[in-house]
Amino acid sequence: MEPVLEFEQKEAKALRDEVIERSGQNLSACYQCRRCASACSVGDETGNLTPDRLIRMITTGDMEHALNNELVWKCVSCYACGTRCPNEIQTGRITETLKKMAKEKNLEPLNTKVAHFHHEFFNSGIRWGRVNEMEFMGFYEIKNFIDDIKNKNYNAIIDEIKTQSALAQKMVKQKRLHFGFTSAKGRKEIKKLLKKNTT
Amino acid sequence: MDLGYYPGCSLQQSSSLYDLQNRLIFNNIGINLKEIDDWNCCGATSAGKTDDFLAIAMPARNIGIASAQGIKEMVIPCSACYSRTLVAKNYLESNQEIKTQINSDLARKINGDVKISSILEVLLSALENGSFAEKFTKKLSLLKPVCYYGCMMTRFPFDVPVPDDIENPQGMEKVLDAVGVHAIDWNYKTACCGASAAVNDPETAMNLMAKIMKDAVERGANCMIVTCPMCQLNLDAHQDTFCKQNGIDERMPIFFITEVLGMAMNLGIKELQIDRHFIKGEQLFEELEEK
Repeated sequence: MEPVLEFEQKEAKALRDEVIERSGQNLSACYQCRRCASACSVGDETGNLTPDRLIRMITTGDMEHALNNELVWKCVSCYACGTRCPNEIQTGRITETLKKMAKEKNLEPLNTKVAHFHHEFFNSGIRWGRVNEMEFMGFYEIKNFIDDIKNKNYNAIIDEIKTQSALAQKMVKQKRLHFGFTSAKGRKEIKKLLKKNTT
Repeated sequence: MDLGYYPGCSLQQSSSLYDLQNRLIFNNIGINLKEIDDWNCCGATSAGKTDDFLAIAMPARNIGIASAQGIKEMVIPCSACYSRTLVAKNYLESNQEIKTQINSDLARKINGDVKISSILEVLLSALENGSFAEKFTKKLSLLKPVCYYGCMMTRFPFDVPVPDDIENPQGMEKVLDAVGVHAIDWNYKTACCGASAAVNDPETAMNLMAKIMKDAVERGANCMIVTCPMCQLNLDAHQDTFCKQNGIDERMPIFFITEVLGMAMNLGIKELQIDRHFIKGEQLFEELEEK
């Protein structure tokens, strides 16, 4: 009988082991019951790509698709999949791990804005010890604009400026936009921890 | 009674009204909030997507500060900060090696147990101790709310003890019952608002929020009550947009639970800064009667 699916055992094991180790999720326990699929908040947004499919991609060693797909970049980390999983596999942790792996391999994310957002939010938290909403949003938008200029997508820049300035105006009106600056002295300790982790 | 307090970045900025309300409410029921010294950002969900070690180390520093200040229990009103700090605490309890590694770089080390509580846990135990009910002198008869918990009050990326029912939490309903406000049962109380996707993937976030709004409207609610500043800002600031995109005619104010409690305590709209909402809700607090 012809096999339904053929894959390279050794490569598959390497990918699976890395994701298990880094996410802390035992994805070998997945028996494809698809409770995660019915729980997924973004299930309507990702086409057919549900958490169970993502796990299968990883266990069969399909690195290319596992690192860059609709679910990895649309996942909102609501953790509903893992809460419903009978084997306690938190796929939300897996998409977070795959985002980091994609970055380490310098892959262009399917949605660059998602990657820029989390990177700049995190950086602001490290830089000042506290996140400054206006500052990190500024860096985030600059990164988007650079991408848009590279792709000659000038309309996207205009649209984004329109949307964000309309929102900012509304926020100013409700005094929800904060113009002050906030920081923690403890940022030095955080930077020390960051350095320790990367060395 | 003294209680450690971690406000977090959002409560200092776009949701500073929630910080003010928490201080007012807790003070009124005899709980003295003691803000921990020089706290830092919890890393929110962004750290978990960027750097796993810092996602634990950032909230760990705050636990260390609380621990050094002799705090036994710390309340965290923001759901993201609460979730990240609770996860870090439990993670470090089962990973002593990483705890030692982090502690060696901290001036104020994690030493002993600091209980991490959401505001619902604190309010519910105040309710049990009876320090609560007599403070509420006003009847809020116009409110027909649904309680919206979002993700982070009951679902965590690590195995932690969850103080409420995961699929059908009741903490907010119980607190509101004590004030004489009876929330409507509905299906979307633990659905996701999209969080940061409202900025970086608006199409997805608007779809998620429209589903929440539709169920609330169908159930006959006239307002939504939340504890999370991210959910509050999203459902409030973007409500016009996602309703227009999805053919929803109704609008409803998104109240922090502290606003409802404050009004029932006879504090003023201005004093509580309830006028800082995008969808206005002051009219639901008009004609308050004595209880």
